[in-house]
Amino acid sequence: MNPQAMLAFARGPFFNVAITFFIAGMLYRIANVIFLGWSKDLSKPRGSKGLGVVKSFLRGGLILPFFPREKKAFVNNPITYLAGGLFHLSLFIVVILGAAHMLAWKSLLGFGWWTLPLPIVDFMAAVGIIAMVMLLINRLNHPVLKRLSGAAEFFNWFLVFVPMVTGYMMTHHMFLPYENLFALHMVSINILLIWIPLSRISHFVFYFFSRTIHGVEWGKRGTMP
Amino acid sequence: MTDKTMDVFIKKTGGWAASQLEACTRCGICAEACPYYLSTGNPDYTPIWKVELLSRAYQQRYTLVGKVKTALGFNKAISDEDVRDWSLIDFNACSMCGKCAAVCPMGIEINKLIGTVRAGVTAAGYTPKGLMDKAKAQDEFGSPNGDGPEAYADWFASAEKEVGIKVPVDVKGADVLVVFTSLEITGKKSNLYSLAQVLEAGGVSWTTSLEARDAFNMGTIVGNGKLQKKLLGRIYDAAKNLGVKKILVTECGHGFVALRDNMPNIFGEALPFEVTHIAEFLPKLIDDGKIKVDASKYDDGKTYTFHDSCKIQRAGGIMDEPRTALKLLVGDNSFKELASNREEGLCCGGGGGLRAIPEAFDNRMAAFKLKLDEVEEVDADVVVSTCNNCQLQLKEGLGFYNVEDVEVKGLIEMVADALVLN
Repeated sequence: MNPQAMLAFARGPFFNVAITFFIAGMLYRIANVIFLGWSKDLSKPRGSKGLGVVKSFLRGGLILPFFPREKKAFVNNPITYLAGGLFHLSLFIVVILGAAHMLAWKSLLGFGWWTLPLPIVDFMAAVGIIAMVMLLINRLNHPVLKRLSGAAEFFNWFLVFVPMVTGYMMTHHMFLPYENLFALHMVSINILLIWIPLSRISHFVFYFFSRTIHGVEWGKRGTMP
Repeated sequence: MTDKTMDVFIKKTGGWAASQLEACTRCGICAEACPYYLSTGNPDYTPIWKVELLSRAYQQRYTLVGKVKTALGFNKAISDEDVRDWSLIDFNACSMCGKCAAVCPMGIEINKLIGTVRAGVTAAGYTPKGLMDKAKAQDEFGSPNGDGPEAYADWFASAEKEVGIKVPVDVKGADVLVVFTSLEITGKKSNLYSLAQVLEAGGVSWTTSLEARDAFNMGTIVGNGKLQKKLLGRIYDAAKNLGVKKILVTECGHGFVALRDNMPNIFGEALPFEVTHIAEFLPKLIDDGKIKVDASKYDDGKTYTFHDSCKIQRAGGIMDEPRTALKLLVGDNSFKELASNREEGLCCGGGGGLRAIPEAFDNRMAAFKLKLDEVEEVDADVVVSTCNNCQLQLKEGLGFYNVEDVEVKGLIEMVADALVLN
């Protein structure tokens, strides 16, 4: 298959299969958890559960990655905080606020939005790639991360890393012809989309569950989540 | 035996636990909050690793990927040996202090999930022996140290000789039912005398009960739901029969949370009475002007600090009240906060039943060293706490490290000693 045909396949039927699998798979995962049942809490709250949830998301989304509440936890493991935070920020900026990706979203959703200038997006893409490398090195060296990591963790890392690198190479016309890189980029994204519902990368959905639960629990007792 | 562990895991895994198990990204930040990991550097003590057994059971039983992996022979079933191994880390190196949940970027309530693993380990019969002996003793006699109603009756009666107060026992229609921790009758009998003085001075309508005497709940600690319910039931029934408006827990942490937050869910109804703790009740007596305290009592040039107990402060939410009272007693200038305080407070190292597990001694003392470093950092002369178990651990730790110039005090005795009697 030549690069053009490969690209057409990856952007066409392969992408459609991948995105359908991704959506169906994630819906299944969510339903699976929801239908396990939830019990009602009859204890008397000391503080506001709702306020707890709001604080939980503010802390979790804005503050935790860069300004951890626990100074000592940060000092002992700064790479996880900084590289982890920067990676997610990079992901958001590149995938949502990058012009090329916005156009891809537009073709899927039917509407577009404001984007950031390319130099900023490009810089953040590089930051994301460096952060990923740092996270890998950290995972290979830190005793706790070594204990927690199995083959799945490294495979997850690899499948996220490839689209980032191929995307960056595309923008800078590095090493391979543009069309080849584009095809690789699309193929790697499709594989990632299929892999997400099968792996812990799906945490982006369960994040909303766990931080809500955390906010309810800590808000209920009147403590800061 | 592992069947029983699996049964417990399956029974306890609803959407609440499953969604949190799914949320973990394996980032390892929880380790940096754990006093047992921080003080020993053992990666097995990483809080989320303590949940691994439950996580594996969940994946194998409930997820499609897990089921496929099992069918293909990639999954390891949970073995007896696994349960034994996890008993060592979940009981001997975890006080269920919950600080891990505070630092987790996903906000996973790791300590509660560890509670489920403990329950699974207990169902299989691998609970550390020291702890199980206490649980059996409480099942039989009502208190983990074997004290029955007669011992309590004697203790209650002794208050008349000690402080001239006749302690009310099983008085119907009283407002407040006081329940103790068994650690008080065995190691700090004076708490009753101090509390009786304060309650009498405050004009509180109170009673004790020979049936509902001990808030200590070994069922909660080992994760035996039946025992937990039986022990809670004694207090629940007594409080209903006596018609009290409030249950006042003295210096017990886990017992307080079990009564306030678990009891309504275990008995399936909102409580017809309130559950409160001396950490908020005594400060309120001062605040409402019911009792008066003489602050000059602690005009001794000493520096005081407050130890946040995991169950009463972090899990109970009672953080401001004891601080306000303490500052009033010792003066703002004599009070210093530890580096880790309030929600981030460091465990003393002795919670979660660890003090009853001889094999956990090294872990307990190692974890205490972190606390000691913070106490020495602010040059505190007195560490004040509202939990009896913490006080015992702090005293034992200070002795272990030969620190002679730091005192440990309870809030009850401090308020009683400063009481102004009309």
